[in-house]
Parts: sequence; structure tokens; C-alpha cells
Amino acid sequence: MSATLSLAAKRGFDTETWLQRLIVAAGVLFLLLALLVPLLTMLVKSLQNGAGEYIGLSNFIAYFSNPALTESILNSLNIAVWTTLIVVSTAFVFAYALTRSGMVGKKGFRLLTMLPLFAPSLLPALSMIYLFGNQGILKDWLPVDSIYGPVGIVMGLSFWAFPHALMILITAFSNSDARLYEAAKSMKTPSWRVFLTVTLPSVRYGLINTIFVIFTLTITDFGVAKVIGGQYNVLATDIYKQVVGQQNFQMGAVVSVILLLPALVSFIVERRVQRHQSSQLSARAVPLQPNKAPLRDALLTLFCTLVCGFLLLVVGMAIYASFITFWPYNMALSFNNYRFDMMDGGGWASYFNSLQMSAWAAVIGTAVVFLVAYMSEKIKPMPTARKLLQLLAMLPMAVPGIVLGLAYIFFFNQPNNPLNLMYGTMAILVLNTLVHFYTVCHLTAVTSLKQIDNEFEAVSASLKVPFYTTLRRVTLPLALPSVLDISVYLFVNAMTTVSAVVFLYSAETTLASVAVLHMDEAGDTAPAAAMAVLLMLTSLAAKTLHWLISHQILQRTQRWRQR
Amino acid sequence: MTTSTHYLQIQHLRKSFGSFTALDDISLEIKEGEFICFLGPSGCGKTTLLRAIAGLEQQEEGRIVQAGRDISTLPPQQRDFGIVFQSYALFPNLTVSENIAYGLANMKIPRREREQRVQSLLDQIHLPEIGDKFPGQLSGGQQQRVALARALATEPGLLLLDEPLSALDARVRLHLRNEICALQRKLGITTIMVTHDQDEALTMADRIVVMDHGRIAQIGTPEEIYRQPATEFVARFVGSMNLLPARVLSHNQLMLGRKEVQVPLMLPPCDEGTLGFRPESVQLHAAPWGLDRSEQLVFQAQLEQVHFMGAFVRLELGYDAELPQIHVDLPVEQLHSLNPAVGRALWLSVPAAALKFYPQEGQNRNPVSEAGHNGQMNLGVAAMQVAGA
Ligand SMILES: Nc1ncnc2c1ncn2[C@@H]1O[C@H](COP(=O)(O)OP(=O)(O)OP(=O)(O)O)[C@@H](O)[C@H]1O
Ligand SMILES: [Mg+2]
Repeated sequence: MSATLSLAAKRGFDTETWLQRLIVAAGVLFLLLALLVPLLTMLVKSLQNGAGEYIGLSNFIAYFSNPALTESILNSLNIAVWTTLIVVSTAFVFAYALTRSGMVGKKGFRLLTMLPLFAPSLLPALSMIYLFGNQGILKDWLPVDSIYGPVGIVMGLSFWAFPHALMILITAFSNSDARLYEAAKSMKTPSWRVFLTVTLPSVRYGLINTIFVIFTLTITDFGVAKVIGGQYNVLATDIYKQVVGQQNFQMGAVVSVILLLPALVSFIVERRVQRHQSSQLSARAVPLQPNKAPLRDALLTLFCTLVCGFLLLVVGMAIYASFITFWPYNMALSFNNYRFDMMDGGGWASYFNSLQMSAWAAVIGTAVVFLVAYMSEKIKPMPTARKLLQLLAMLPMAVPGIVLGLAYIFFFNQPNNPLNLMYGTMAILVLNTLVHFYTVCHLTAVTSLKQIDNEFEAVSASLKVPFYTTLRRVTLPLALPSVLDISVYLFVNAMTTVSAVVFLYSAETTLASVAVLHMDEAGDTAPAAAMAVLLMLTSLAAKTLHWLISHQILQRTQRWRQR
Repeated sequence: MTTSTHYLQIQHLRKSFGSFTALDDISLEIKEGEFICFLGPSGCGKTTLLRAIAGLEQQEEGRIVQAGRDISTLPPQQRDFGIVFQSYALFPNLTVSENIAYGLANMKIPRREREQRVQSLLDQIHLPEIGDKFPGQLSGGQQQRVALARALATEPGLLLLDEPLSALDARVRLHLRNEICALQRKLGITTIMVTHDQDEALTMADRIVVMDHGRIAQIGTPEEIYRQPATEFVARFVGSMNLLPARVLSHNQLMLGRKEVQVPLMLPPCDEGTLGFRPESVQLHAAPWGLDRSEQLVFQAQLEQVHFMGAFVRLELGYDAELPQIHVDLPVEQLHSLNPAVGRALWLSVPAAALKFYPQEGQNRNPVSEAGHNGQMNLGVAAMQVAGA
């Protein structure tokens, strides 16, 4: 019996299963080497001295006995709490207005709120300088002495984080059940009680989720604080200062570990909450039709106009300032600030480097993400490895960019690491960017794959068609819209990210977003704004192109979607 | 190694999901060209067994031999079968023709021949015109037939169908039943169909495998399953059956409720069990004269309700307050000749051959009956009655 079994097992050797195993193993290896091992290396570094000897917690003791450093923890928390408060409450009202009111012009408002997604986080900070800085046009409106500090950081971050909060809350508000409202109305419940007893509970998970997402985003932000923080130190800028300013890598690692903690905690809470939210709505729920209430709608329109006005003001200011010849002495408009070759930061070359890097990240990244998501969702072999794959794919969400960047230095810059060849090349920038933004892409791919019938693989196996043929002929075409979404998401984020790549570029691979940082450091605020504007326009162009292409492709290849 | 005439042999198959045993020591043999139904309630492991045969689930123990080849550990692509899922799993972005030709593409068949094959399959499913449509543009029944054509396109030796009709409305379902049967007979392809619908199994299958909690409860032709349900479970699940809890008093004496009756059976040595008989096996009499109690069960019950069911009437009779009502099905004419009034006491007789006694679970698992040998009697009528009920 056992002899026959082993004989059968030998006959059962088939290339397809082995190919699947190989891809799963490659996926696990990829995420281990590009994510987990660098992070662990960083953890080890935080326990070593400059010479690489193990010194236990001495670095941490040194850190906590230095009040100049520990102050940053409170500063970071302060910034994160205030920003979260402002952003979440604003986005809450805004999302309510967009989903539940009879307000007109919702589409327009919604489009305007997407604007910050395309700007590098440095852009609002630069705008703040022109609006409220020492020579700012609205300087007198500022209630505090100086925009350089917590107020500037909170305002800049609020601009940048707003669309993220809005997206989650709109989803939460959209999951409404009209039957509950009808029941409440039939019992003559006053509307404030309806709000407290029906509306609020139905969005509670979305709300908690938003709070944690925004908290994570803001406590880990680097760009805004760097540009407009002045003397106000936060954890992310401390890492940068320790590493770039003082070459104290150990202390950089210590601060990174400390920054990783709140991010991890809020990540775990967020995942927990997420699980609740999806199962909340019953399949028989009836979607709510927003009703009109003139006074409420007018007030909400005013509110949304103010918010969008602020967003437009910030963007408009940056654009305007980028064309001013020499603020505030020569207000004539010119393209002088766009002559990047005259400035620090790598000039136009860095812009083209950014384009190249983003294109690679979009192309390679989409392929990797989709393949890994496919393997983790649709195939049978190696269940444990696939679980690990799913877990690792979620982790990047919890890792702040600047921490990932530093971890990459530690891991890839080791002389005895064969991967060290990548150090200073375009490849490491692409890899880092891909890993940094991996989770959202992975979730997008998984969501669309889950909507595809699970039996397709079984059917094609029964028809003796290899799985890769079905992947190419069926699964990929079906998931095409989300594949395009992933690629444009990667492109835009690769264009605008600063934090993760700020440690990793070399003289040949300077990037535009980093150039913004350097020009600002060198005092060339206007060219910095110009570059930031250029990045934003490029991202917008990419998004428009994506929209046109997907429209075209979907028209042509998705004929079957029409009935 | 296996020289038997059986096309598919399943030996001691076992499969569990964590601590839950989905398949428990399943053994089964299927002849070439047979139409087999796996029948059982939801969650009894029918789909799991089908998927194990397809290689889509890997069993922990046991062997599967198909056409003399041990396929126990082969991956699905190295086995020889076509499959239709409940969801049909048609590729929505490919046309009907492309769907059907999907498995032909890598068989190195010239294009012309491929097109011919597709067209002849479309003809066989009586949908010659729909080749250029997309699955989303078809009705459920049409989709189902396309899925069938796709599974048959590569001419597999074994066809597996997992509840292929359950997503369709009743009328289409009846029509497709016949169509699938006709196609199967014509092609002579060995077929296994999973269903939880007893009518479907009784009318379509050559043999039925009744499953319960991961185990096989009974294997047999529809007639055997209907006439000789091996366990109380099968009796309850297939057709309708009067099942009366009883205490055993002696080898031929039962306590039914508070009444003692003599039964024309050799009862096994046990304390309790269930006495079962089909509603249509009961005969009604105005008086007990001439009824032989050693050849039939005879008792008196009160007529409580009469339901007109079309071809027959169903009477509900009360025998004992502690027992469930007894159902009796009669042809309409017979009722007229008897013409009983509600409330009247009638005499019932059940021939020994139609009586089953199931000892209580865990006491003695062999059912007792006298009629194991004369299964040739025409009970197709009864089966149809059930199918129509
Ligand atoms: N992948 C799985 N993991 C865990 N349990 C499973 C899995 N697949 C099936 N089961 C369990 O095994 C049992 C048998 O499942 P199976 O799908 O074979 O039932 P079925 O007889 O086809 O029922 P139905 O008529 O509902 O389709 C069920 O209790 C089910 O919950
Ligand atoms: Mg099933």
C-alpha cells in the first residue's frame, strides 16, 4: 500500500504545482528580504554601539536620559492628536454632507477634496510659508507668533491627511440602512436623537478606523515637520537629524524603534476594527436616499465651501508663489523658479529620475503585487507560506517611511550582504517605494480577486489548462480595473514620497521630491515650491491619463460587462 | 493491479477539516457508463467527496482508482474528468464558443476541427445560435448547459456535476433533468451528480449513494433506496414514510404508544426502535374480517383529515395520542368506493413486505424486513408518486 502511494506520489510530480510553490516561495522571500529582515536589522542596530558591539539597552537609556530628545515624543503626540482631531471632525461633517444631505454640487466638492492626494506633503508646508510666514500674505491673520512650529505642522498635515480621512468616512456613511431611519421617523424620534442612536452607531467603526489611520499618518510624517517645524522637533525629523546631521545611526535606530511602536499599536487596533466593519451591514439593507432640508443643506454647503476654499488656497498659493520672480521684492511673474539646474538638489535630472523611478515602481510593483495577491488568494499548495505572505503584506502599513528608509541603510549597506550591490542605485529606490506602499495595493488586488469565482482554477485544471493560462486569459482581464488602479496609485505615491527615499538616493539618482527638501533647506523656497507644483501636476497628469486609458481599455476589452 | 470491471473505485476514503470529519471511511464502486447521484442533506460531505474524486481536495487516507489507474495523489490536471459547478464558473469575459473551446485550445487540434466540435456541442445542448454571446447575456438554464458543454468538450471519461440544477427555477429544472439524462445516455459517459433533491436523484440516477454525516448510509438503485431504506435516516430522507417509535415486547410483539400490536416480522433482540411503512403501502378496510395477522400488520385508526393531492388523496389518521399521525395515500377511485367519513374508525393493514423495523441507533444496525428478495415488484409507480408529491 505504501509502495503504491509513493509510486503515485512520484507520478504526481507536476510542473504546475512546483511553479506555484516556486512563486509563493519567491513572494515570501521577497517580503522577508525587502521588509522584515531590514526591520530586524534595525532592531539589532539599536542594541549596538558605533563599533557594532552589543550593548543591551544602553542606547535607549541614553535616549531617555536626554530631555532634548524625549521632548520629541510629546511633540509628536501633540501634533498627531491635534491633527487627528481637526481632520477627523472636519472630514466627518464633510462626509455627512456628501452622503446624507441634499446639498448640490457634491461631485465637484468630492473632486476638489482629492487634490491633496496628488501633492507631495512638502507642498502644503511650503504654501504655509507663503501664506503665514515672515513675509506671508496672510501673516497678520495668524493668532500665534510664528508659523514655524506646531501650528504650521498641524495646518500642513491637516491639508495632506484630509482626503484619507474623507475616503474612509464616506464609505462608512454610505453603508446606511434606510429602514432604521424609517422606523425612527415612524416613532416620531427628534432628529438629534436619530443622529445619536442611528447615524453615529452605524459609522462608529468607520470613525474609530479613521482616527487610527490619521493618527498613524500624522505621527509618522516627516516632510511637513521638516519644512515648517522650525525648532519644534518631532520623532521623524529626529531620525533624520541623528542620521544625516550627526551620523549617529544607533540613535537613529533607537528613535525609529520608538516611532514604530505607536504605529504598530494603532495598526493592530485598526485591523481589528476593520474586521467588524465589513460584517456590519446586513445583505437586505436598503440604501438611504438623502432628503433635502434647506437650512441644514445651506449650512453644510457653506462648510464644504470653506474647507475646499482652504484646500484651493493652499494649492493656489504654491502655484502662484512658484511663478513669482523674487518674493516679496519682485512680484513679476516668470518661469525663473523652474530653472532647476541653477539650484541645489540635482536640477531637472532629479525630476526625470523621479519619473523613471515612478514608472518602474508602477510597472514592476503592479506585477509583483498582483502575482503575490493571486498566489495568496487563488491557489492551493503551501497554506502556511500563503498565510505568512498575507501577514507580511499587511505589515508595511505599520512602518513609517523614514523608519523603512533607515532600515534599508542598515540592511543593504552591510559590506557582507550580497544585495549591497543595489545600494545607491535606482533599484533600491524602486524596491523601497514598492514596499512602503505595498499594503494598500495588496488589499486592492485581494479585494478584486475575491470577487472572481473561486472555481475558475478548478475548472481550468479539469480542462487541463495550466493556471497561468487562466491567469492571463481570464483572471487578469477580469481584474484589469483594479490593476490599473494599483499602478496609478504606485506612480503617484512614488512621485511624491520623501520620507522613505531621503536616505537612499545617490548622486546619480537624486529625486525631485528630495530636491524640494534640499532647495528648501538651502533657502530656495520658491524653486522648492515650483518643483512641488511640478510633481503635483505630473501626478494629476498621470491620473488623467489613467482615467483616459482605463476608459478606453475598458470600452474595448470589457464588452462582456454590458448586458 | 486492479483488474476489476469497475471504472471508478473508492476505498476507505477519509477527509477531515481540522477536528471535523467530513468524509469517514467511504468505499464505493462505480461501473462504466453509470449515472450516480450523491444524495444527502446539506453539509453531509457530498461536495467534499466529489472534490476528492476530482483531486480538488486531498484525502488523508484511502485510495481512488479510475480506469485501473491509481489517481489518489494526482493533482486535478492529471486526472480525467469534466466538472460543472453550482455557480457554473463560466468565464464571463469569454464568449460562449471560447468558453466551450477553452480546454480544446491546448489539445493541438486544428482550428477547423475545434470549431466543428464547438458547434456540434452547441447543437447537442440545443443552443446552436448563442456561440458569440457572453455568459452574462444568457439565462441561468442556458448558462448551465454551456457549462455542461464546456465540461464535455475535452471528452473526459468521468463527468462530475455539483448541484447543477439547484440555482434554476422549478420548470427549467425539470426540463434540464431530462436533457442531462438524455445526453448522458447518448454519450455513455460515467457521471456523478451531487444533489440534495431526492426527486432529482430518484428520477435521474442509475444508482444513488445516500450520505449522512460523512458516511455512506446506503447505496442502491432508486427503487432499492425507496423500497428498502437501509436506515431510519434514509427512510426519513427519501420519500415520505410513517415512522412510529415502538417498544419491543417479544419477537413479534410491539408496543405502539399505549397499544400492543402483533407484527408479521422477526424482531431483533432490542428494547426500542422505529416501525416504518410508506403511506401508499397501507390498505384500508371497513372491518378486519379475513386479515391474516401473521402476514400483515393490522390495526385500527380514526380518520382525522383528507387532503386532495391531485392524482391521489392523502388521509391523516390518528392511532394513538402519543404517536404522530399516520399518513395513507390512496388512489382517488378507491377512496370513493370506501367513502369514509371524517371521525370514523377504519381498519388499516400493511403487508409484511412493506414493513421496516429500525432498532434504535447503537443497538442493532441491521434493519429487519421480509421483502429483501422480491424487489422486482413494480414500485416505479410509487417512486413517481413521490416525485410528483
Ligand atoms: N474547506 C473547508 N474547511 C472546513 N470545513 C469544510 C470545508 N469544506 C467543507 N467543510 C465542511 O465539511 C462538511 C461537508 O461539506 P460539503 O461541502 O461536502 O457538504 P455538502 O454535502 O456538499 O453540503 P451542501 O448540500 O450544503 O453543499 C460541512 O460541514 C462543511 O462545513
Ligand atoms: Mg455541496
